[in-house]
Amino acid sequence: MPNVAVETVKLTIDGQSLTVPKGTLVIEAARQVGVMVPHFCYHPKLKPDANCRMCLVEIEKIPKLQTACSTPVAEGMVVRTATTVVNEAHKSVLEFILANHPLDCPVCDQGGRCDLQDFSHEYTPTTSRFIEVKRVFQKEYFSPLIEKQMNRCVQCLRCVRYCDEVMDVKALAPVNRGTMTEIKHFGTHELDCEFCGGCIQICPVGAITSRLSMYEFRPWMLKRADTVCTYCGDGCQITLQTKDNQLIEVNSSLGAGRNNGDLCARGYFGYHATTHPDRLTTPLVRRDGRLVPATWDEALEYVAETFAQLKLKHGAQVFAGVITARCTNEDLYLFQKFMRLAVGTNKLDSSARYGQVNAVRALCRIQGTHRWPVTFEDIAAAEALLLVGTNITEANPITGLRVKEAVKKHGATLLTVESLQPTVGTISNIANLAAHHFTAHPDQYKPVVLGLIKAVIEEGLADQPLSQKAPAYLQAIRDAVHALSWPTIEAATGSSAASFKEAARAFARTARAVIIVGAGVLREPGASGLAATLQDLLLLTGHHGRPGCGLAPLAEQNNDQGAVEMGTVTECLPGPCDLDDQEARARVSALWQEDLPQGPGLTIPEILEEARGKTLKALYLVGEDPVGSLPESARAKEALEGVEFLVCQELFLTETAQMAHVVLPACSYAEKDGTFTNTEGHVQQVRHAIEPVGESRPDWEIFSDLAGLMGYPLEYGDAKDLLKEIRALVPGYNLPGPTPKPSRPDHTAVDRYLQQGYAEDLGERYRYTPPVKAAGRLTLLVDQSLFHSGKFSTKAKGLLHLQAEGAVSLNPADAARLGIVEGDRVLLSNELGHCRTTAKVWDRIPAGLCRFPEHFDQEARRLLSVSIDVATGVPYYRSAQVKVEKAQ
Amino acid sequence: MTKFTAWIKTIIFYEILVGMKATLSHLLHYKPITLQYPHEKRTLPDSYRGMLALLRYDDGTEKCVGCDLCEAACPSRVIKVFSAEVPGEPTKRYAKEYYMDMTRCLFCGLCVDACPVDALGMTREFEWAVYDKRQLRLNKEQLLAIGDRSYPVREKRLEFQHPNVAFFNVAFKGLPEKES
Repeated sequence: MPNVAVETVKLTIDGQSLTVPKGTLVIEAARQVGVMVPHFCYHPKLKPDANCRMCLVEIEKIPKLQTACSTPVAEGMVVRTATTVVNEAHKSVLEFILANHPLDCPVCDQGGRCDLQDFSHEYTPTTSRFIEVKRVFQKEYFSPLIEKQMNRCVQCLRCVRYCDEVMDVKALAPVNRGTMTEIKHFGTHELDCEFCGGCIQICPVGAITSRLSMYEFRPWMLKRADTVCTYCGDGCQITLQTKDNQLIEVNSSLGAGRNNGDLCARGYFGYHATTHPDRLTTPLVRRDGRLVPATWDEALEYVAETFAQLKLKHGAQVFAGVITARCTNEDLYLFQKFMRLAVGTNKLDSSARYGQVNAVRALCRIQGTHRWPVTFEDIAAAEALLLVGTNITEANPITGLRVKEAVKKHGATLLTVESLQPTVGTISNIANLAAHHFTAHPDQYKPVVLGLIKAVIEEGLADQPLSQKAPAYLQAIRDAVHALSWPTIEAATGSSAASFKEAARAFARTARAVIIVGAGVLREPGASGLAATLQDLLLLTGHHGRPGCGLAPLAEQNNDQGAVEMGTVTECLPGPCDLDDQEARARVSALWQEDLPQGPGLTIPEILEEARGKTLKALYLVGEDPVGSLPESARAKEALEGVEFLVCQELFLTETAQMAHVVLPACSYAEKDGTFTNTEGHVQQVRHAIEPVGESRPDWEIFSDLAGLMGYPLEYGDAKDLLKEIRALVPGYNLPGPTPKPSRPDHTAVDRYLQQGYAEDLGERYRYTPPVKAAGRLTLLVDQSLFHSGKFSTKAKGLLHLQAEGAVSLNPADAARLGIVEGDRVLLSNELGHCRTTAKVWDRIPAGLCRFPEHFDQEARRLLSVSIDVATGVPYYRSAQVKVEKAQ
Repeated sequence: MTKFTAWIKTIIFYEILVGMKATLSHLLHYKPITLQYPHEKRTLPDSYRGMLALLRYDDGTEKCVGCDLCEAACPSRVIKVFSAEVPGEPTKRYAKEYYMDMTRCLFCGLCVDACPVDALGMTREFEWAVYDKRQLRLNKEQLLAIGDRSYPVREKRLEFQHPNVAFFNVAFKGLPEKES
């Protein structure tokens, strides 16, 4: 964040004098000295509106009362908030509001935490002078998730302003005038928006409430647990509220966590997944071909015994383990320790393999550190932002809010390279805010990035110090982009050279620039190369290494970053350090007081390959479901059938778990303690809100018990004990403050890259050959949707209300050409197979592309082929070429 | 004289007579105070606080809106309310389940005071001796039955009588339009 000297002013509030920065509002200044000015329409996140008139205060030398929420402080101002005149004003405002308020507090979910209740209690007489009939709004529809009860509304318009200013969705608007003002959405259908729940949280009264927990609770009954949402890598702090060990609702308070009280639909409405009735409650052991319930002792002893026998017979190298990056750091750490010590193999991996590994590799290679060089605050304060393949408003909505804040509040220049078209729709579209937008298919981000670099070079925007420091590097890039002609780039991207030059100028001439990349880059072939090329762009424009600038790859899973740092990916030891780094090995084995196993590690695709070759005898899967999540072409089922002993540790009986010999029930995030590391590398506490469902146990406890039974005791009192050990090995896990400290690039690494590191693949990275596309085929992209993420979101009833089935989204022009209208049954086919689904015509899909939501792709997945990155072992299976036709 | 009086009082056991005055007078005018309880019953005071009951409106619908305020007011945690939306009538609230553990009840009447819709009443029933104290955990149906037998005269349903005072838990149909 930039540090600017701030001017201050001195004022007096209720006899207390204070000094605050110039421009502070009186209401905020009053709060600093502990004076609460009653208000409805004021909210720190929103621009002042001063429509509720509740915050009237007396200011000396101003004849009339002033609204504290819209009056900035001035030098020498004397404010009084508790005089008779002010109290009379409060009384009259409340009398007007209560003239129409139905006083249905007994049946209102806000009752007990309602601003109107509190202020009425404090300021009004108990009788009203109004004898008129109260205003009654007729209801038009009853919503499945967000219930509006307009009779309770105090017309503060906070919801409308939040929806516009913060979320940029603009789903709500006030209709009519005066007391008849009503909050409505557009159109005659039900509310159709992002369902972030922001209007529910921000409503000071009970006019907008959540239907999911309606009437189930009273605020004073709820127990709260501040924990971290697991639906994406943003790491939003959520408060799980429970009553009698049941999850009732989710809140997020202003100023808490990295999300500052903002949530998305998944965070706000997705909490029912953990208490789904299908949760596994007892261990299951396969007897006579069927999985039957067993006790923990039986199951664990069986696993430990079989592991020991197999180890005796075949050695430790026939074992492998995969853990999901949705577990806590403690679980991840103990898993790799268990695999390395108790089992004795390095053949372990986590689901960070599916994309995050690419990001970390690229960061490590060029900046020498594995974490973001920026924070969310830096994104909000950036002057230029380049988004490549993020679809940020759907995949990482809260990071998306920071981008929106940068553009809408601070006027940043936004450049987007996305497979989106700027269109008006019911959910926000980041391309709408872009000053320079390049629509590109998911496999066509590279020519756009190369175009930008070419424009930077040709426009002479390259950083001067760089040309002196690394002339050879600059020359190599210059030669490489020179070899690319503008017509090639124009043909590949559909954008003109002039637009690239304009965008490059806008990006290069700013003091603070951040590049954000998402799954579109990290989970497509050539990912680590493209991430490196984007760092080249930062180096060329001189942004690399400057505070507040850098490359920010978005994590898809809540603890992807943690999984890498805990050494739970094949190539890393805790730290993360390279597996063959002798110094790191010595450090780790000194702490563990045990020698580390020799032998290579195996990535997920390699593990499956070995399993197919029958050389793998035992596989331990923790929360991973290769059969259910990889496309059929990965032949995961065939591989797992060849494994002699398969142990699954799961929440639900997934497709893989159904094949297992032993299934161990694990706790979800709502039932355990630990830490998650979010996408920007901020370590946050996870706290249990409910007791474990059934007999399920936290993952690390299971590892610890198994290790004990196998004769390698790994004993810990609780998750905190584990965190202490983690701190000794991994930097950055001390008690975190409210904001992370971004990592500073390591200059030796940057210099090494600039001197010779670039040379190894520069030619490859800057070469562009247009892909050969069969005529009449569309690119199918299996992508995340806003309402689902992770493996459990389809178990959450709130999210199923929003999206319950998959449909293939098509560009209107393509649909018209194929004679398809919304709701038609369509047939998608290619060499690998075919699938039938419903069509949806969506104008934000660019021509030639069709999109299918990842969470309903059981059918569509069989069209995808898997390609494996040679350098990082990442399996890519997000897009395919398909033929789309109307089903008969 | 005084000596003589004292002597007389001594020989006739005057103090004992004074002390036994009430006993002796009752000996003569025999009228027992003890009631032969199951056969005879006392007249209860007007504000007697007996067994709690849930009440109904005249159309037979439950008055309770499931607001949980009785639960909050109860000092000994007698009451447990599980409220929910009325099936088929969105946004109307009612108590899906309602339990009172009468073994703990102090009969303080705070729940009755707290009730915003006068759905709770204290009856004049007190004969609730049972052999198994689990029988004193009453559910909604039992409490309504107590109300039915103790309050034969039911209040008229409020539906929308006082729209200038407060209105809640009314179905969103047939409400008077505000005159513009």
